[in-house]
Amino acid sequence: MRKSKQSQGRTPGQGNRSLFRRTVFLLGIIGIAAFIPLVVQLVRLQLVQHDYWEERAANQQTQDVAVNAGRGTIYDSQGRTLARSGTVYQLILSPRDVLVSIKEDNYKDEEGNPDRAAYEKAVQEQRELIVDGLVKILGLDEEDLWKRIEYTDSAYDVLVKEMEEEDTAQIRTFISENRLSSMLYLAPASKRYYPHSSVGGHILGFMAYTQDSGSVKVGAQGVEALYQDVLSGATGRVVTSKTGVGTEMLSSYEEYIDAENGGDLHLTVDSTIQSMLEQTLEEGIKTYNVKKGGFAIALDPSTGAVLGMASSPNFDPNSYASVFDQELLDELKSLAEEYGEDSDEYNQAVSDALNLQWRNKALSDTYEPGSTFKPLVVAAALEEGVISPNDHFYCDGGQQVADWFITCHKRAGHGDQTLTQVLENSCNDGMMQIVQKLGADTFWDYLENYGLFDSTGIDLFGEGTSVFWPGGKDFFTSIYGETSVATASFGQTFKITPIQMATAFASMINGGHLLEPYVVQSVSDDDGNSTYYHQVQEVRQVISEETSSTLRGMLESVVAGPSASGRNAYMAGYRIGGKTGTSQKRDETSGDLICSFMGFAPVDNPKVLVLLAYDSPEQSASNSNYTPSGTYISGGNIAAPMAGQLLADILDYMGVEKQYTTDELEASDTTMINVTGYELTVAKGLLTDRGIRCRTVGSGNTVTGQLPKSGVTIPGSSTVILYLGEEVPTDKVKAPNLSGLSPSEAKNTLEEMGLFLRATGVTGDGTSMEALSQSIAAGTEVSPGTVVEVRFVSSVIDYADQ
Amino acid sequence: MRKKAKRDLTVEQQLARGPLDLPYLALVLLLTAIGLIMLLSASYASAYYNLDPSVNTHGNPYYYFMGQLKFAVVGVVGMYVVSKIDYQWWRGLSVFALAFSILLLILVFTPLGRSSNGARRWLDIGFSFQPSELVKVAVILFFAARLSKRKDQIKAPPKKWNQRTLRGRMGAWLEKIGLLELIPYAIILLIILFLLYKQPHMSGMILVCSGAAAVLFASGIRLYWFVGGGALVGGALFFLITQTEYMTARMQSWLNPGSDLQGDGYQLWQSQIAIGSGGLLGLGLGNSRQKYMFLPEEHNDFVFAIVCEELGLIGACLIIALFALLIIRGYWLALHARDRFGSLMIVGINTQLAAQVILNIGVVTGALPTTGISLPFFSYGGTALMVQLAEVGLILAVSRQIVAPKVE
Repeated sequence: MRKSKQSQGRTPGQGNRSLFRRTVFLLGIIGIAAFIPLVVQLVRLQLVQHDYWEERAANQQTQDVAVNAGRGTIYDSQGRTLARSGTVYQLILSPRDVLVSIKEDNYKDEEGNPDRAAYEKAVQEQRELIVDGLVKILGLDEEDLWKRIEYTDSAYDVLVKEMEEEDTAQIRTFISENRLSSMLYLAPASKRYYPHSSVGGHILGFMAYTQDSGSVKVGAQGVEALYQDVLSGATGRVVTSKTGVGTEMLSSYEEYIDAENGGDLHLTVDSTIQSMLEQTLEEGIKTYNVKKGGFAIALDPSTGAVLGMASSPNFDPNSYASVFDQELLDELKSLAEEYGEDSDEYNQAVSDALNLQWRNKALSDTYEPGSTFKPLVVAAALEEGVISPNDHFYCDGGQQVADWFITCHKRAGHGDQTLTQVLENSCNDGMMQIVQKLGADTFWDYLENYGLFDSTGIDLFGEGTSVFWPGGKDFFTSIYGETSVATASFGQTFKITPIQMATAFASMINGGHLLEPYVVQSVSDDDGNSTYYHQVQEVRQVISEETSSTLRGMLESVVAGPSASGRNAYMAGYRIGGKTGTSQKRDETSGDLICSFMGFAPVDNPKVLVLLAYDSPEQSASNSNYTPSGTYISGGNIAAPMAGQLLADILDYMGVEKQYTTDELEASDTTMINVTGYELTVAKGLLTDRGIRCRTVGSGNTVTGQLPKSGVTIPGSSTVILYLGEEVPTDKVKAPNLSGLSPSEAKNTLEEMGLFLRATGVTGDGTSMEALSQSIAAGTEVSPGTVVEVRFVSSVIDYADQ
Repeated sequence: MRKKAKRDLTVEQQLARGPLDLPYLALVLLLTAIGLIMLLSASYASAYYNLDPSVNTHGNPYYYFMGQLKFAVVGVVGMYVVSKIDYQWWRGLSVFALAFSILLLILVFTPLGRSSNGARRWLDIGFSFQPSELVKVAVILFFAARLSKRKDQIKAPPKKWNQRTLRGRMGAWLEKIGLLELIPYAIILLIILFLLYKQPHMSGMILVCSGAAAVLFASGIRLYWFVGGGALVGGALFFLITQTEYMTARMQSWLNPGSDLQGDGYQLWQSQIAIGSGGLLGLGLGNSRQKYMFLPEEHNDFVFAIVCEELGLIGACLIIALFALLIIRGYWLALHARDRFGSLMIVGINTQLAAQVILNIGVVTGALPTTGISLPFFSYGGTALMVQLAEVGLILAVSRQIVAPKVE
């Protein structure tokens, strides 16, 4: 039965069952299963690959404009602007958008087929419009522009890097008139300005592209580099949506991430003091034809604040990539003439010159401090009690240390000396005796305590590392280290950075406090609120207040003593203490010397500490001790006079009251009174009361004329001229050349001509004193009675060791 | 005219007044509403910027939305009216409907037709419409009407073939394997497909086939015909893809849209950007960025990409779930329909609708190569929406006659 039904084919029930089964099947397949791959695909796109697509979307939908945060301004200690940022504009071309702006669909022939030729012509016309406009307005290189605009893979090509606001007007009009904003636009960028040009360049640093900086310049040196994060702030962004044709989107999809302006730095550096340092350096380099530049540091010894730090050659941070120093430029010029500007020699020289001018020698270089180091050793010995200020040291011209006989620079020997005289004479023999008493072990500890093994922690980028004996303490304290100990006593055979030297010296004169030097006093935010203020950081107490005070007194003698090595730094009215240094370069065979002076003032309460050094003044011959002009090459002759003047200028600028000794008072200025019309005896009496000497011209009893006139300021020791019946000469006279004359010779020469001498610099009747400079140049016509200021120096033979 | 009292009606008439299937109706109305909102969002920019050169929107951002809204209102009313008609009428009318729609398809090639974008699909008779929309339903109605009678044929004595002649034996064999009964359907399908091919109208062909195939499948046609048919279609597709340049390029742009961003790959690439950038939660309703002249056809075939961008994976899945529920409910109604004709009609319409949804979403997401099928209830297109709602009306008409289970 069943079988027959089957053979018949279908039954009604079977047909419906089949319908039911197949519909259920469809329900399963189409109603459920078919949707699964769709959902899977959606999950893949929207979850798994979400970031990928989102980035693609953002790429085409948004114009992401970075808003540069205002970089913080850098001020000096007086609030003068050293570095500030301004807005400039970058001109950016998107070759891709130039292409996209011409829609291929719009170019069809009558039958609706794409017209390739018409389309390409339109693209070419659009490009011509842009190129011609840019060439006309900005004078860009046409060939280069064509190359760029045809590279359609690019959507971001910076055509002009820095355009000042006032230069952008024309290009803006060009863009808006031709509706090019989707393919050619100006983006604001930041430019750093340094209003003081090269002043403080090494401290400030400069802005440059570095390996990790990407498209933004970052601080590459100095505080710009070290305080990059503080100064830069946080870059903001404006993300604006754009439509498929590059116009602004209707819906207000805009995202602002506020730029956070950088903090302002307030430096301890005073731009006036800084330029004094730089000028002093340049002056000395010029005078003595110094071959390898030099460096200068001014510190506030009581806080560690850096008042100035200069290095020569220097550079202008505004155009850091061009050679600034005139001498280097001259050298390059001659190289260019010799080899041509494309030569490897020339390019290498340019790169060397740049690296040299960027280098802050005061911070990054190391040198052998030489005799300027001696006071530190004396202080250590006094502190340890192994010597006392009253001890005497006999110098016989040298000392036998191990297998070496180490001579004093005065081969004949200084003879019997007090401790102060050891410093005044800068006696190496005496120092070797002192350090023997101190012992290598303790000496080493003091080297450490003075912070010479560590970096000073100054907040500048690129501090150098000191170089000591390879064997370290074990070597130093062993018998093999004996010569090293001996030579180290006068600052040779090890190298430290100038800033280390200055910091250690400061600790010795400020009461024994080793302080961390610093250049940033405070940081303030946009609203002027202080976000950081530097607290004086004492690293450790190295010596006692008492020892420090003793040393200050001794160092004053080194400058003020009549035949002391530092006497060329003496300036009346300024109590300057200091120490000269003439260091050999043991790692060079040139015989070049570094002439330095470490000075501070006023001695009783030091306000400023100056380290000034000239690297390799020109020698008259190789290994000669004299300059071509005959100056004995030493710290006392070359650095001390410059440093004395520098200290005086700084103290004047800082408004530190002058302090005169009685001798100085006598020599100090007085004002000429009126004696004309008086009887000679009365007139003489009036002048003597004021300490003014006089001589007479003519014969008679009544003063008929005087030189100078009343009210003129003259040096106290001057001799005025009283005329008895004779006419006072009114013809102008030519100032004589006083160079090389002794004080008395200069005085006589001047007074014969009716001129007056005001002597500065070294006083007294030192045997080897000679005029260094005069305030009125030789040959200048001056009225009789004019005061000519002449600076005298005395030749100081001060060798660290010989 | 006063409504007749219930007692005066025949059983048939009483059944036709039964209640609508509320879940199905609710799903349809929900999808229509969501579709309208998404169309507004998607078409906003396009209308505002007046991007389509063939339409002048006058910069009115609501232009497409208002147009669609009118059709939706008319369509919903039409759906209700259709659902009130006793669907048994369509048994008889289906022949005429099919003949009429084939006539219209032929008329497309007369001056009454209008071509656009290189395809001749429209008839301009006071208003513009695509006869292919009509033929899709007509085929299903006709096939369902004819195939619902298959079981009746069994009652009639099978035709006697003269076993002695070769022709007779052949006939018997052909009948046994079920080929003979397929011939009329095949002829009708081939005529329609040919006409659509001449337009050309790829998506129309696919949908006609899917509807017809579903009805044939459900009516119990032997499975090997489907296997054979599938193999034939597959072979033809393989030939087309590998041997014709046009299809090869199209496949290439589908498999690797990034390779041809200036050309065919652009649309799919932009669509995937839209979907992918939507992420889990989407950019929020109305916040699509891709609709701003990046994604072409954003209010037509690719509206779902904007849905994904604005509503995210969650919103997109929700809408897919609504579609799936609609389709499942449709099959459920087919299973419970009063007669075979009702069942087959629903299966046909429902499968066609499902094919449209699946193919559209598949294309938009890049899971399938581009075909040009619009998304029901979402894509812009007035006549399409009305026809869809009318088809839904047919399904609802069937649902009215489902006998409620007796409550004990």
